[in-house]
Amino acid sequence: MTAAQIFAIVIFVGMFIMIVLDKIERHIVTLGSGVLTLVVVFGICMRSGGAIWDTIALKSFATRDFWYQVAETESKGINWATIIFIAGMMVMVEGMAKAGFFRWLCMKIAYLVKCRTIPVFITFTIMSAVLAMFIDSITVIMFLAAVTVELAQLLKFNPVPMILAEIFCANLGGSATMCGDPPNIIIGTSLGYSFADFLMNTGLIAGVSLIISVVFFYFAFRKEMVSANGAAVDMSKLPKPSEAITNKKDFVLSTIIFICAVVLLVTHSITHLTVATIGLFIAAVTLIVSGKDALKLLKKLDYKTLIFFIGLFIVVGGLEETGILEIIAKFIENISGGNVMLMVAIILWVSAVASAFVDNIPFAATMVPVIQSLSSTSGVDLKTLSWALAIGTDIGGSATPIGASANVVGTSVAAKNGYPISWGRYCKKLAPATVIVLAISTVYIFVRYM
Amino acid sequence: MGQLIISVGREFGSGGRIIAEALAKRFNLPIYDRHLITEIAEKTGLTTEEIEKYNENPKHRLFSRSVRGYSNSIEDNIAEMQFNFLKTKAESGESFVVVGRCSETKLREYPALCSLFIIGDMDAKIKRVMEVYELSEDKAKDLIDKKDRKRKRYHNYHCSAHWGDSRLYDLCINSSRLGIEGTVDCLENYIRARIGE
Repeated sequence: MTAAQIFAIVIFVGMFIMIVLDKIERHIVTLGSGVLTLVVVFGICMRSGGAIWDTIALKSFATRDFWYQVAETESKGINWATIIFIAGMMVMVEGMAKAGFFRWLCMKIAYLVKCRTIPVFITFTIMSAVLAMFIDSITVIMFLAAVTVELAQLLKFNPVPMILAEIFCANLGGSATMCGDPPNIIIGTSLGYSFADFLMNTGLIAGVSLIISVVFFYFAFRKEMVSANGAAVDMSKLPKPSEAITNKKDFVLSTIIFICAVVLLVTHSITHLTVATIGLFIAAVTLIVSGKDALKLLKKLDYKTLIFFIGLFIVVGGLEETGILEIIAKFIENISGGNVMLMVAIILWVSAVASAFVDNIPFAATMVPVIQSLSSTSGVDLKTLSWALAIGTDIGGSATPIGASANVVGTSVAAKNGYPISWGRYCKKLAPATVIVLAISTVYIFVRYM
Repeated sequence: MGQLIISVGREFGSGGRIIAEALAKRFNLPIYDRHLITEIAEKTGLTTEEIEKYNENPKHRLFSRSVRGYSNSIEDNIAEMQFNFLKTKAESGESFVVVGRCSETKLREYPALCSLFIIGDMDAKIKRVMEVYELSEDKAKDLIDKKDRKRKRYHNYHCSAHWGDSRLYDLCINSSRLGIEGTVDCLENYIRARIGE
């Protein structure tokens, strides 16, 4: 093993431990690790300016494929398309939240089902999945969980089962599309897949799983919610959906922008516009229509997450350039003995177990080059491995309270309102649900692709 | 008298809580220690036992994660609730005495804050803990070490400055020198001087 490989592994493992320990903010950890990779691995050990340049990947901005993509192309180093897209969606979501869109939507649906507990439970869990297909799950859960608590206090039911189901379905919805969950954005932009590719593959798995999950949660939680369901609901006590709208003009504009974003994403395999172009366009339009509030919107942007991604991609670039990821791919190939089913099962279940305990974003970013290498050496279809990786990382995160961002936000909103959710309470229902969905996904992938 | 907030930090066994209660009596102020738990329990619908279980405990790092200021840790959320509760009380202009809860840091922005830290000689603390908890000398010392370690971890996790660092407090005092009564007298004089009485 070369010095560069040893340092690349030490930096990567150190970064992961620091992220798990949560002592230093994770964007500082990844950025610091990224700088170390550039200096120690590429600069001192490899003395390769080319490796630094390839990993920083600034030249990708100048290529046509970055903005307009006709054929599938793969990217290396910092995945700027992911970063620009996430930043663009952040700007749009900030605009929508400021106008009161999410709260309005939650209240509107609650009104439509006359605020009865079980119908609210079913519609909110489905809405959670549908919204998470296009919007980051943190935002979806932040608003849904808050409204759920508010309704629970007014209608006198325990909001914990509903919040748990919403969390699970947000992660499930996120797995359905290319922009639903960061691992999917990384997989999609790194391997040149389209929105439709995800929708027709992971989307179908998520659709089937959603139906089964809603039924599972209904039977798992019905006893906890049934007592309040029978009581008559005094709708006059509830806040009106229209009260959620802070500014009518902003509300209409942000809704139109959201619809445009959805249309652009759904049709991007036809228009050939990349997610980077769509992200930039959506952000630009949101900022233009925000007028003098544009600066405020930009200030609210979660820069820490964007920096986290930059550092992370550099560290993974270190593993890639030094050939460590090829060694891991070779290892997976060897232990599966060339058995494709076993290989897919390993990718899916190892990703799921890892994502249940560590951040799924660094895991997915690391595994993308691994499955690329695995596919080229073993001949297994890259797309099959990609869907296994996407499902594993997206769904596996639902199993524990720390597996995905939505879980942390949902349990936190519940606790802040007097409904603490312990590990035991969380895992009792969501861990079995995760295993069920993973089992369904495994069977689905085996049947459809092999 | 204008608003007065007395924050009392303390080493375990130093008599800090008794001193805080005595100060609350002398200044005729409500005290938030266990009462804080009761108030939060009433407000949130949690039981006092549930809050007590997670109260003044640092989170388990391996089982916790934070995302954009949200944390899945119940300990973190209970702590946050208590900090917000204290800030709301301070904001409303209410005068009170609060024991622990990082109050010397969390309420630092309020001019009415008078922050105290009570320490004690180890011998005196052991004697006191042996009497109150009916423990042997060894067990009393172990309990003091354990409790102080826990308070330190909790404080240092929620605040950037270190628990017991004299620069954090207006006054640090060793209760073993003057005894509990004498310490309370001394602190009362100091506080009266502070509020201009």
